[in-house]
Amino acid sequence: MTLLVQTLILGLLIGGIYALMSSGFTLVFGVMKIINLAHAAMIVLAAFFTWWVWDLTGIDPLLLGVVATPVMYGFGWVLYKTVIARVHRADHELAMVASFAVAIAASGVMSLVWGTELRAATPSYFNTSLEIGSIVVPHAQLYACGGAVALLLGLYVLLRRTFIGRAIKACAENRDSAELVGINVERTMAQMFAIGAATTGFGGAALSVIYQFFPESHFVWIGRILCVVILGGLGSLAGAALGAAVLGVGETITAIYIDTQWATTVPYILIIAILVLRPQGLLGERMRADGAHA
Amino acid sequence: MIEFRNVCAGYGGGDVLQGLDLRVEDKSITCIVGPNGAGKSTVLRTLSGLLSPRVGEILLDGRALHTLSAAQVLAAGVAQVPQQGGLFGGLSIRDNMLLGGYLVRRQRRELNKRIDELAEVFPIVAERALDKAADLSGGQRRIVEFARALVTEPSVILLDEPTLGLDPKTCATVFETTQQVNALGTTVLMVEQNVRFGLQLADHGVVMERGQVLISQPADVLLGRSDMASMFFGAAPTEPAVDVPGGPA
Repeated sequence: MTLLVQTLILGLLIGGIYALMSSGFTLVFGVMKIINLAHAAMIVLAAFFTWWVWDLTGIDPLLLGVVATPVMYGFGWVLYKTVIARVHRADHELAMVASFAVAIAASGVMSLVWGTELRAATPSYFNTSLEIGSIVVPHAQLYACGGAVALLLGLYVLLRRTFIGRAIKACAENRDSAELVGINVERTMAQMFAIGAATTGFGGAALSVIYQFFPESHFVWIGRILCVVILGGLGSLAGAALGAAVLGVGETITAIYIDTQWATTVPYILIIAILVLRPQGLLGERMRADGAHA
Repeated sequence: MIEFRNVCAGYGGGDVLQGLDLRVEDKSITCIVGPNGAGKSTVLRTLSGLLSPRVGEILLDGRALHTLSAAQVLAAGVAQVPQQGGLFGGLSIRDNMLLGGYLVRRQRRELNKRIDELAEVFPIVAERALDKAADLSGGQRRIVEFARALVTEPSVILLDEPTLGLDPKTCATVFETTQQVNALGTTVLMVEQNVRFGLQLADHGVVMERGQVLISQPADVLLGRSDMASMFFGAAPTEPAVDVPGGPA
């Protein structure tokens, strides 16, 4: 019983981080209908940035996530204005291809700058844990999940309680009507894409502490992110949180009760299962009704 | 006064408006009617800044609107109530009203006050404030759309097919609401397929065909013309257009 509780806690902690990593991807799809295959490459880029500054200065990598978030916001804005918006205007589907090209280019640049070896940030709490009775909670996962949940709550408040959030939802529903109430749709789209990119800032910081990574590991991460959003229902933030929890717990149970090697197959098994049983995802119906709603 | 001077505009497959000349008097209700494809809704889209004219000028009290974005046109005092589905269905009525004041969002106190004032004129705004717009009936949505368009206190309001898909009882509500809005001193320019409804409501009527004004007359005169029905099937007017096309008497 203790092992099961331990497994569930670890799975949910990982799920919290997956939820943040997937939130930007699902929001960009929900509002702009862009499948941004560069999203995972941005996470790995943020992980490299965090690891690099930590290696140079010793500043806590998770704290560096606070810096990486606005940095990635700026990166997302520039990427949208220079590549995505232009391609998206010409052809919606082509934006996905362009984002894949960006991902490949980004991994090439990361290889040139930081090399192809496995990296990981190892702060002082890397190997320490919180013990509650017989339950052990690793500090790194706990802090990373705490930060991710805080950012997700911030994102939720931004979408539900601010004019930026209302404008984003308005653009997702009806662009003409959004323009008629005075919203600058193009600027709002850029903001949305940049907010999606900003979520990769702390996501990358968490990745650098909890996992080993190298430039091409974004291929693995985009598979996990696709699993989370397909599981939850594309475009739904609540769906992403649910999908992330299912994947996190599924992977952890598989790793502990079956074999670590088999854990890597869980995302793909879940994708196939959900596409067969409920193609719209667990919260897919709701997504259709409310677009990118939190 | 709103003036269209030789306006040509379209969507890439050729011009829908072909040298349109039109005048709309201050504080009037002007209704544009005409067969499908005549360019009625395109008039509103060019005026509201959703579509830029290729040629020509659109002026509001002498100020050029044709070079402005939709947000700038709204700031200049022209608000549009679009065809069906203009509200953001996934948002609450309150959020829709707040978005009506998007341009003045930083003046939150004044914005809230304005929404409260409108809620006194349109009680549904307060009664259903927390309900999602998608949960309202067609007529209720129309009323909230009117209210939302009035948040910025526009001097001109554009109505695109206000009775489209509504039952007769709800049409009557739209009729009253339009009169109510006009009584507040707002100029109303509407496009309407329901000719009788539109011309009974309006002071002035305009018949469009192939992107141009065919007839422009007082609404009651236009309504009494025996050739109105045939004109909708593409026939030329059999009665003389008493007034100069493009301008009210």
